[in-house]
Amino acid sequence: MVYLMTFHWSWLLASLLLGLAMGWIAVVHRGQGVPRRTSWWLAGLVAALVAVALARLIPGRPGYWLDLALLMFASYLFGCAVGSWLRAWALSRDAPA
Amino acid sequence: MHEFFKWSSKWWPGVIPLVMFWAVAAWTSTLPLETDLAARSTSALKDTVLDKRRIAVAGRDVTFAADAFSEDGRRSAVASVEAVPGVRLVNDETRLVPEAKPFVWSAERDVVRVTVGGNAPLPASKGRLLEAARAGLAGVEVVDQMNMSRGAPPRFENAALLLLDQIGKLKDGKVTISDNKVSLSGMARDLGGREAIAAALKNLPEGFSVAANEIKAPPYIFQAYKDPVAVTLTLTGYVPDNNVHAAVAAAAGRKFFSEKVVDNLKASVGAPSGFAGAVVPVLGALSRLSTGTLEVSDREVKLSGDALYDAAAAQIRAGLGKDFPQGWQFKADISVKPAAAPVDATVCQQLFSDLLAKGKIRFESGRGTIDPDSAGLLDRLVETALRCPTANIEIAGHTDADGEDAFNQTLSEKRAQAVTDYLVKAGLPANRFTAVGYGSSQPVASNDTDQGKAQNRRIDFVVR
Repeated sequence: MVYLMTFHWSWLLASLLLGLAMGWIAVVHRGQGVPRRTSWWLAGLVAALVAVALARLIPGRPGYWLDLALLMFASYLFGCAVGSWLRAWALSRDAPA
Repeated sequence: MHEFFKWSSKWWPGVIPLVMFWAVAAWTSTLPLETDLAARSTSALKDTVLDKRRIAVAGRDVTFAADAFSEDGRRSAVASVEAVPGVRLVNDETRLVPEAKPFVWSAERDVVRVTVGGNAPLPASKGRLLEAARAGLAGVEVVDQMNMSRGAPPRFENAALLLLDQIGKLKDGKVTISDNKVSLSGMARDLGGREAIAAALKNLPEGFSVAANEIKAPPYIFQAYKDPVAVTLTLTGYVPDNNVHAAVAAAAGRKFFSEKVVDNLKASVGAPSGFAGAVVPVLGALSRLSTGTLEVSDREVKLSGDALYDAAAAQIRAGLGKDFPQGWQFKADISVKPAAAPVDATVCQQLFSDLLAKGKIRFESGRGTIDPDSAGLLDRLVETALRCPTANIEIAGHTDADGEDAFNQTLSEKRAQAVTDYLVKAGLPANRFTAVGYGSSQPVASNDTDQGKAQNRRIDFVVR
């Protein structure tokens, strides 16, 4: 894991920045969100993929690509969460003024 | 919290560029990652002794194949690859190097190369063996056909190094180690090589023994060539030691009364037994030939050339070989020199005088028996006598003045008679010769000195 992070730090950083940007936008975005039911299905799918990756079920290059995808996705989600939280905090600080 | 879920439901559009990022990352990073992992795995195995190592990386999975020399070594090699950071799975295709039973190693030499084959216990010892072979056999190609195997006997490498040292002493042949038995075959390069190898084998490491030593020595060669034109006797080849060398040279000097002896003999071990006992008499036979070659190869004696007359050829063919040491073989290829043109009595006398000036007929001290060393001279005298068939010849015996006159008289008569008998045996008619003894009554030099006495002890041929 540490090895992958050091090897791919640039791609992970890119994912994180992408997440930050998306999270920042999401707070004030007025478009259609993912329906709750679908989001549960998606969460289940991601959990299944994590389980497959941890169990090392997929061999060779596809296995590596899955690991890489999950790492980048995790980095993206972290970026989104931080971005949204920062935007919400910034809005709440401006609101009273 | 509720708000957080509301925000997160709107995060999905970023997933589209994320997937693009991922595709590009996967596309560009897979090969560098695999190369990096292969390099790290290889360096992790740097200090591990393995044969036929092969590392293939697909994604983060390493397929590792190798032959290990022990179970512990195999396990630790797999563990060190597993411990490489970034490696996800190791497909373990390692195995133990096969065990050889019996553990056979060999080195074979032919004219241009040495082939080292069979089993070697470790890559390092294989390298040392090849290095030793190259160092010990400068200029000879060394071919490596060794395979790695387990099951080498203790101190195998020392034994193999010792044998590689011996292969330099072979012209061709093979040395083999089978478990702890050593066998050798082939032909030694030099005389004495076989003995040197046998001596070196005594230093084999503990536990090793010689199962078969079939190293042959090259033939022990002695050659003598009598050249009537250059008037030389050329001796080449080997003699066992300096004593035999001196004896052979002295015998050649006595038997070849007019030839210059060219001595190119070298002393070397490895002579067949009875060497001197066979070579000295056969040199006598060579001295009786007009031109001839003597070849002694191990225990085989070949004499070829031209005898001076028929009876001499028959005597040489029949006489030699009888008193040879046991196990020696004698092959004679003797022809007879064509008879020289007849000459008149005066020339005949001149020829006799010339011959007797170059050499003297020798007798056993105080007795009337002809010394065998004089056979060459006597044959020349016979040849000359055959050239003047009408001349009558007086064989005159003379002694020095030592001792009583009556004894000297008898001795001179006996000696003259012995020479006459020799001539008659050679096929000359007895009525042409008169044996006369003069005792010490006709000295040709002073009897006061040893040299003078030696000159007075003589046989003269006088044509009447």
